[in-house]
Amino acid sequence: MNCSSVLALVFFASLLQGRAATSTAEAEKRLRGAVEEVLAVADRVKDHSTLAEKVRPILLKHINFDTMTRRAVGPGWRQFTSEQQRKATQLFTTLVIRTYSNKFTPGEHPAINYKAAVSPAPGRVDVPTTLLYQGSHYSVTYRMEQESSLRVVDVVIEGVSMIANYRTQLDAQFKRGGAPAAIASLEQSVSHPQ
Amino acid sequence: MKPNRLLLRLLVPAALVLLSNCTTTSKTANKATTKPVGATDARDDYAVVDAHDPLEPLNRATFWLNDGIYNVLLRPISKSYEFITPAPVRQGINNVFDNAAFPVRLVNSALQGKFKRAGQEAQKFGVNTFAGFGGLIKQSDRIPSLTNVPREDTGQTLAKWGVRHGPYLVLPILGPSSARDVFGIAGDYALNPVNWLFTLKGDADDFAWIPPSANTLRQLPDQLKKYDESRANALDPYLSIRSTYYQNRQSAADE
Repeated sequence: MNCSSVLALVFFASLLQGRAATSTAEAEKRLRGAVEEVLAVADRVKDHSTLAEKVRPILLKHINFDTMTRRAVGPGWRQFTSEQQRKATQLFTTLVIRTYSNKFTPGEHPAINYKAAVSPAPGRVDVPTTLLYQGSHYSVTYRMEQESSLRVVDVVIEGVSMIANYRTQLDAQFKRGGAPAAIASLEQSVSHPQ
Repeated sequence: MKPNRLLLRLLVPAALVLLSNCTTTSKTANKATTKPVGATDARDDYAVVDAHDPLEPLNRATFWLNDGIYNVLLRPISKSYEFITPAPVRQGINNVFDNAAFPVRLVNSALQGKFKRAGQEAQKFGVNTFAGFGGLIKQSDRIPSLTNVPREDTGQTLAKWGVRHGPYLVLPILGPSSARDVFGIAGDYALNPVNWLFTLKGDADDFAWIPPSANTLRQLPDQLKKYDESRANALDPYLSIRSTYYQNRQSAADE
């Protein structure tokens, strides 16, 4: 390898490193913005159902629910018709918004410490945070991915991935009764009063 | 031994186990328990937790029995405790018991060869005991190197030593566990000074039962809250809590 090849490699590597740094910085910035928007809403409301309703447009902007639903369903997703996929995405979106909203007690503010974001794979950024909430510390990692924009595709609380948790349940439903059973279980959960 | 003493000796440790194990507190999982079941896209690296659950019908029945016991018996006790003790008082009580349980974390850090972590635990204990009025105030949270030290327990030590989970178990009252973690819980119980007097004397008439019972009571609100969070919005609460349990143990083992 001659000198110019080495220089080209070094230049290319530094370029890649620079892009990764930009991507992680952008992810953290976007996440901070999204969390602040949610907390501003949480400060104004008095109950979980109102919170879920008010944060819905914010979460729709910052979370990629199509990817989330596909992965939560798992391999069975390919056997869903496009109408079943649309229905499942709609129901799962409502369920995730409700689940996320339930983590907050309206009016109570968590102290969030953002740690250095990492990019474990191209197009993916994990933003680890620690939360001090009601006297307890929690570790929360936001998994973000670049498609049309950088958006959240999973939330991992104390090592428990929301998507992995739902995949366990939806996969079991799918194996039991195919797409109709998976959709019926989502419908039942969404219709369950909070 | 009088019948009521026998009952206390059985129930107090059992309740303690429930509180350390029924929900999402830090526990260890075995990496071999997960396997991918197929990706839906190029970046999909999720796996369905493949729990070894040969007793699933029995476990499911016990799960629903426990659910009823939590709602009918434990929840009213928890709410009464929250009603009579203001939040700052509960936080102080939690801090004291958490500080007292430091041998569990110290010994298990050392047994796993994590000596730096053992040192941090010793420092935390010193700071909180002497500068925090016997652990009432968690002064260690003001020192960056001592905040968020991962908690080690006997179950994690057994995992580190290569002991596998064994079958998934839902214990009556005590909640989700595994064969390995049952031994882990026994180790944690033995290492916690709060239980020493009661274990050694075992006499319900000499008030030795008060510290472990108080330790059980003070953990109820948080544990029931975590249980509710795992159960809420679940499509199958049994599978949701089993998945939560395994993922959380895996994460604790990886730390």
